This record gives sequence, structure tokens and C-alpha cells, in this order.
Amino acid sequence: MTVRWIVRTLSEICVTAGTLIVLLVVYTLFWTGVRADDAMDGELGTLREQWSAAPAAGHHDTPGPAPSARPRPYEAGRPFAVMYIPRLGTDWSKPVIEGTATDVLKRGLGHYAGTARLGVVGNFAVAGHRRTYGDPFKDFPRLRPGDAVVLTDGTTWFTYRIDRRPYTTLPSDIGVIDPVPRASGYNGPGRYLTLTTCEPEWGHSHRLITWAHLDSTQPLAQGRPSALPG
Amino acid sequence: MYGWIWRHLPGNTWVKALISLVLVLAVVFVLFQYVFPWAEPLLPFNDVTVDQGMAAVR
Repeated sequence: MTVRWIVRTLSEICVTAGTLIVLLVVYTLFWTGVRADDAMDGELGTLREQWSAAPAAGHHDTPGPAPSARPRPYEAGRPFAVMYIPRLGTDWSKPVIEGTATDVLKRGLGHYAGTARLGVVGNFAVAGHRRTYGDPFKDFPRLRPGDAVVLTDGTTWFTYRIDRRPYTTLPSDIGVIDPVPRASGYNGPGRYLTLTTCEPEWGHSHRLITWAHLDSTQPLAQGRPSALPG
Repeated sequence: MYGWIWRHLPGNTWVKALISLVLVLAVVFVLFQYVFPWAEPLLPFNDVTVDQGMAAVR
């Protein structure tokens, strides 16, 4: 138990702790993104496969259960749509998965269970990471009124238009995903969409919200909506 | 600690260096695969939902 031994052990502990912290930063900033991009590509692949395997053509000649008079409920943890937001990048497309559990948000955007389905009257509410796990909503504050949020469920394109600049609120403010969202400026029922993410960028004290209304829909067969570039 | 490990590794310097490298990689793997995925949700970057998206959301 010499002084030399104590000093050496202490330095080793400090160096180890420093290395651990650096590794955790690398993991959070870089590795979660790599894993998330991979997982999101996987979910997009799953959707494409599903949609090409069971195309809308089935309406005519499937003798089985009555086709889509009542749409299938979204399954928790399963992707069901793809979202495009041209403002966040011309190639920005993310899978939308049912539920907002932590593991869901590692693989894509999460649809709040219990909020409206895509395109119907009510509020289709979606949450996504601002930072880490692929940074899907990194540029959220750049969204402006009039920006398009385009979604497809494999049969229909839904084009929503954002109505106001991102709104900052507290995490407990669940009124923002109400069928007629509180503070949104909408004053009657409609086909709305809500996006939520964290605010500030690296913190969790607040939430950033944006609202949009359904502007138009068109069948997939008619091609991509004009709101999408390319 | 590190000196103690080094002295207890078998072989000559090169073998020791190689084993050390493997040990370091193993530790990094365990950290990235098991420890960090557990620790990361405790950081604030995961809270992106209003009211955690839990039961309160009808």
C-alpha cells in the first residue's frame, strides 16, 4: 500500500471511466443511428414485401373473407405505413409502426395506439426521435405551414398539409393528440395529423408538436402525389 | 489493475499483446451489445411522446 500504488490505481480508474464515457457517446451518437437505419430499412422492406404479396388487386378475385370493407386493425409493433416529409429531405422516408414503446421507436416512427387511423376523421398521431436512433425528426423545427406530410398504406396516398409552426409544450400535455387537438387552432372535427418529438434537441423537458390536416388522397395506382419530388 | 492483468497473461510480449487486444474487443462488444442498450433508455433522448405514450393515451 504505497502512495505509488494508490496513485496508479486511481489513474487507472479515471482512464477506465473516461474510456467508458467516450464509448457510450460513440454508441449513442453513432451506433444507435447505424442500428436504427438498418432496422428502418428492414421495416420498409417488410412493408414492400407485404404490399407486393397482397396487392389491392385481391379485391376482385379473392373468394376468402370479404375484402377490406372494414380495414384490418393495426397490429402493435408492426409497420403499416411509410411517411415522407420532403422538407426533411427528398429521400426522407420512414416506416410508421403501431405503438410508441421504446423498442418501436428504435425501428421507426410510432403511431399512438388509440388515436385515429390514417386518413379518417380524428387525429392520426405519430411520435419520433429527434436525436439518436437515426435522428428521424432532427430538422423538426424547420417544418413550416404548407409543408406536405405524405403517407401511404400500400393502397392509398395521403397528403397532409402542416398548418402552423412547431408548437412547444410540456410532456404531460396529452391534449395535443386529441381528436380535435388542443391549442392547434382547429375548432371542429376533421382529418388531422399530429407529429411529436422531444424538445430541446438533446433534452426531454418539453415536446415539440406540429399539426396538419388531410389535403388530398389518391389511389396508389395513380402514381406519386405531386407533393413528392421525383 | 492493468499491470496485474498483463503480468498474469501467458506467453511472450506478442502473445500478451494479442490476448489483450482480444480482451479489449470482447469488453467493447459486451458493452455495445448488452450494457449500453440497457443504459441508453435511461438517458433523456427517448422521451419523444406526450405522456410517454402510455396508458393515459386513450
